[in-house]
Amino acid sequence: MAGHELITAQLELLAARLPADAVDELADGLWQAYETRLGLDGDPERAARAAIAEFGDADTVTAAFLRESPWRRAALTLLATGPVMALVWGAALLTLDVRTWPIPLAVKLGYGLALLAVAATLLLVARARLAYRPARPAVVAAAFGLLVLDLSMLAAVTHLTEAPPWPVAPAVLAGLGRILLTVRTLPAILRRGA
Amino acid sequence: MRAETLKGHLDGLLLAALEDGPRHGYAVKEALRDSTGGRIDLPTGTVYPALHRLERAGLISGSWSVVGGRRRRAYELTEAGRTALSGERAGWQEFASAVTAAMGARPWPATS
Repeated sequence: MAGHELITAQLELLAARLPADAVDELADGLWQAYETRLGLDGDPERAARAAIAEFGDADTVTAAFLRESPWRRAALTLLATGPVMALVWGAALLTLDVRTWPIPLAVKLGYGLALLAVAATLLLVARARLAYRPARPAVVAAAFGLLVLDLSMLAAVTHLTEAPPWPVAPAVLAGLGRILLTVRTLPAILRRGA
Repeated sequence: MRAETLKGHLDGLLLAALEDGPRHGYAVKEALRDSTGGRIDLPTGTVYPALHRLERAGLISGSWSVVGGRRRRAYELTEAGRTALSGERAGWQEFASAVTAAMGARPWPATS
């Protein structure tokens, strides 16, 4: 059966955004929808438009793939830890005399900027609708970044404070908890595929 | 039926559509539409990522074939999928009974 340029154009858009296997599968479904409509209507243009309407356009389909992706799920999970971590580490750092730590100011600033970059990356993935391909490497980078940041903070606190005040304990526990959570999300986000 | 009404029930619906045997994505969507008399007619393209998620969860398994020169992926329930479907079904029946009991069979009050 002959194709139609509208269907081909939708598939080209999807091919630029999604993995090849997913596009093959979608192509099969979209052509089936088109052939079914063509059999009912007989007009190729109307059949193509109806098939796309029934199937969802390329933006709708891409957004659905992103919504169901393990990368978005991981981004939301890691983002959800943010408020609790900010609260417990904020309280802990207020009780510690961080200014006396023998760490250069540039490193402290770098830590803060890196934390902001990780949060911004996770937020972008969580809100993305069309950027399916960049979502996976972005979340993987953010997860590894978060691991490094959490481990660094734990190392700094345990090595640079001799008798930590009590608010440090929940912060350390929360830090360990997030490290475990991040490690548990890694297999799902490192796996390739739609 | 509105998409938000289906939230939380999509997995059960997709698993149920595969209960009678392997189906590819378009056939799953058609089966859903036919079994509900057209009341549940999802955008076909959005069914595929949900099927992929169920496959990642081990509830269904997919296999490729070539039909009419096109690559086609068909899905079937795994044992874990059958167990999950039973759970979804029991959960839905309990929920539906509770809501029906709470709402009763009385007519809705007039709003004007």
